[in-house]
Amino acid sequence: MNCLLCNKPLDDQPTWQQLLGIAKTSSICPACFNGFERIDCVEEDEILDSVHSLYAYNEQARDYLHQFKFMQDIALATVFASELRNVLNDPKKIIVPIPMHPVNKKDRTFAQVDALLEASNIPFTNYLQKTTESVMGEKTRAQRLQMTELFEVLADIPNSELVFILVDDIYTTGTTLRHAARALKNKGAKRVEAVTLFRPIREK
Amino acid sequence: MPFPAASVNECVKRGWIQVIEGVTAKATWHGMHYTCNRCFNSNQLTFTTFECAQCETTCAYCRNCLNMGRVSRCSELLIWTGQAPVYPTNHRMNWQGNLTPSQQKATNELLASTKQSISHLLYAVCGSGKTEMLFQPIHYLLNEGKRVCLAAPRVDVILELLPRLKTAFPDTVVEALYGGAEVEHYDAQLILATTHQLYRFHEAFDAIFVDEADAFPYTADETLQQAVKKAVKPNGPIHFVTATPSAQLLAMNKKQGNISILARRYHGQPLPEPRNVSLWNYEKQLKKKKIPSKLLRWTKERIDNQQPFLIFFHQIELMELAETLFQQLDSRICAVHAEHEDRKERVQLLRDKEIPGLLTTTILERGITIPNVQVAVVGAEQTIFNKGALIQIGGRVGRSVPNTSGDFVLFHQGITNAMDEAKSEIRKLNKQEVPR
Repeated sequence: MNCLLCNKPLDDQPTWQQLLGIAKTSSICPACFNGFERIDCVEEDEILDSVHSLYAYNEQARDYLHQFKFMQDIALATVFASELRNVLNDPKKIIVPIPMHPVNKKDRTFAQVDALLEASNIPFTNYLQKTTESVMGEKTRAQRLQMTELFEVLADIPNSELVFILVDDIYTTGTTLRHAARALKNKGAKRVEAVTLFRPIREK
Repeated sequence: MPFPAASVNECVKRGWIQVIEGVTAKATWHGMHYTCNRCFNSNQLTFTTFECAQCETTCAYCRNCLNMGRVSRCSELLIWTGQAPVYPTNHRMNWQGNLTPSQQKATNELLASTKQSISHLLYAVCGSGKTEMLFQPIHYLLNEGKRVCLAAPRVDVILELLPRLKTAFPDTVVEALYGGAEVEHYDAQLILATTHQLYRFHEAFDAIFVDEADAFPYTADETLQQAVKKAVKPNGPIHFVTATPSAQLLAMNKKQGNISILARRYHGQPLPEPRNVSLWNYEKQLKKKKIPSKLLRWTKERIDNQQPFLIFFHQIELMELAETLFQQLDSRICAVHAEHEDRKERVQLLRDKEIPGLLTTTILERGITIPNVQVAVVGAEQTIFNKGALIQIGGRVGRSVPNTSGDFVLFHQGITNAMDEAKSEIRKLNKQEVPR
């Protein structure tokens, strides 16, 4: 096997730990993995009860998302499988991926957040549906803040005591996640948390 | 795609464009077997399957040529099958240089093979003026209205060749294709391309010249060799140009093509022979922040004599360790490797004598000329320094008049077969008869 990012051969000598499933097998090389900066930044506000971002959105992260989303390299969904599993392995919480509009999904041929969760073997429920084809990345901050409702909730919420975790690839201004959380809360959800893979951090 | 969808559809309707699927799947007893129809890759490890939202089946895509835009089972590849473009047949060749008798002989042989559409291997030592020998055959092909491609595995080579060819053929439409290039004329009559870019072409060229045909990754990647074969028209010749042909390339051309050997540099002086010097435990000493004494003496001598030098390392980490040590000797000494974006500028600084020397990986093993450069290889026994690499590295020495020779030293801890083979190959070439 070669590293999925830099295509250099991986040093994958078979070991007993690997055979017994104790050691995790990696799909990228240590040098590429070290390029991602773990931040574990957690923030709280009124609509989103907590937002946990795993990695800094640095150059390596930008290249990763470019290859994953725009070059449509779905194989990269496995890169953060065990890290996401570690954060999301609470069976009492309901995992809700931020969806893509069906038209955009067809263009990309897959929904990136669903792909991340499937690669990590995390069960999830598609409670939300995107109502607009517009994409956040193409908007200014002012435009984002003015947006009307982005999501509608597809099913009734069975039990308002359940905790929901929204999952997205990147947290920028938080508009998307707040819209999604508000939609769920309007349907009666009490606590809505969020986990994102990346978050930009300001240079000091 | 550079064309509007409506006009493409019109061409498909008229039968001018053939549409094929991007990835072909064949069912076998152990599952699906995929082949990419763009890069002809069929290594199953490089295919990824997924539930596709577009074709709503289990789809597969090729990761080998992903950089050029994803090709999957549900994507379509278009092949132009309509009328072939007509190219002008009056091209001016603006090149005043003279070929030496041995260069002229090799050129004539290459031209003869071109006329007969026979593959030709031009085996010419480093610094023999290979590019100039291609001008006459290319000019012949252009005047016949043929479409020609000059391909090389490395973008540095393409960038170096482009201005030379543009000056040599001032009236011809010349275009260079490489990753990130801004391309105006995909239909240019003379195309310079990295071998990767040939994935894009299907029976498009009347002749292809592959320069530096032994360089990485061309020899290591079978799909690149397939790409060259796919890009040339049936019966079109593929010519190879190299200073260090692999045994495979020599055997292939012995069987079905012609070979010209050019054993002398354009200035007629012999190739510098390598000198083996033992350098035990160099890795350990460098890690202890000490330059091994023989290497230190060699470097000081170069600095004192004001001779520019290149020191080759097998590993980036070791080279960077050494860089700090060498900088205590002279603060202007610096290192270059593949990920340095300003490596061109640093080589230029060495040419301009702004810096005394460079530490480098094998990235500078070919394609560069620095007058009076002296070369050392640290750890010549490492597997990365195979016979071809050592000959190429030695080829940096004594390329230009008046400094037609120089020191080429291999610091080693044990002599390998590759070192012996490189030395005997150089001796053999130096003994060859030179036509006058």
